[in-house]
Amino acid sequence: MEHEKEMSPQESLRLIEKMIGEAKKQFSENGHLYLIWGWVVFFCSVSEFILRTVFHYQYFYAVWFLTWPVVIYQIWYLSRKRKTTRVRTYADRLIGFVWLTFVILAMLLTWILPASTAQVVNVMPVVLALYGMPTFLSGIALRFNPLVWGGISCWALCIATIFIPVNIQDLCVPVAMLSAWIIPGYLLKARFSLHHAA
Amino acid sequence: MFKELDPILHSQLRLAVMSLLIGIKEADFTFIREKTNATAGNLSVQVQKLKDAGYIDVIKQFRENYPQTTCRITPKGVEAFEAYVKALQEYLKVEK
Repeated sequence: MEHEKEMSPQESLRLIEKMIGEAKKQFSENGHLYLIWGWVVFFCSVSEFILRTVFHYQYFYAVWFLTWPVVIYQIWYLSRKRKTTRVRTYADRLIGFVWLTFVILAMLLTWILPASTAQVVNVMPVVLALYGMPTFLSGIALRFNPLVWGGISCWALCIATIFIPVNIQDLCVPVAMLSAWIIPGYLLKARFSLHHAA
Repeated sequence: MFKELDPILHSQLRLAVMSLLIGIKEADFTFIREKTNATAGNLSVQVQKLKDAGYIDVIKQFRENYPQTTCRITPKGVEAFEAYVKALQEYLKVEK
């Protein structure tokens, strides 16, 4: 495209189509954060279950403090990615806000639901329903079906809690992590490597 | 009557840049250069023309001690691009 050429309307449309196709190919999601968070939440939820049911440890929830250094790592990782990224798409921006909404909702609901009543509240169905939301929407925005199915699997697990005894419902979380974040995370990683090797 | 094709957009490289940016929030100069196969000099000139027409914003900044130029389509640019595509479609309808 060194020199300006006179184009026919057909040539113009072909060029537009080609460049829009090039933009669509741009794929910046490498699955890294899905894998980090998927495995951390998987590990924490399984550990919590074992500490509570096998060892009857009083402070079984302490294992979740492991998520704090991961939050710090995520802030560092995202700021570094922001500095090195060459293209920012509308989908990237939308997905960012979807995950922010998820974090706010997760913090509000898991804090407010138990605090708003004197009774013991089972937050597990809420947690599973919440996991499904950003996963499903990210899958739609990225046109990546494993994430869409991952989101749906979280909602299926949410419904399944009706039939699962409360004392083992915690195990729904690692299952949700596998189907919603870990498996799609590896598939995203593979797609990213394939795209960038091409 | 035909709508006149926007002369700013009716140029191969400028149209390529606009078509690339229409679906992306922002992209850096190197990315646009790779996708359009243009030389840096030619692309700079065409990007400046698009900027002068108010069709794109050009943001120059330093990232990790290296200069980086980022381009982003403006609402005026989106409007012009849509009008251009509409005009093209009218041409094609008559030609059929």
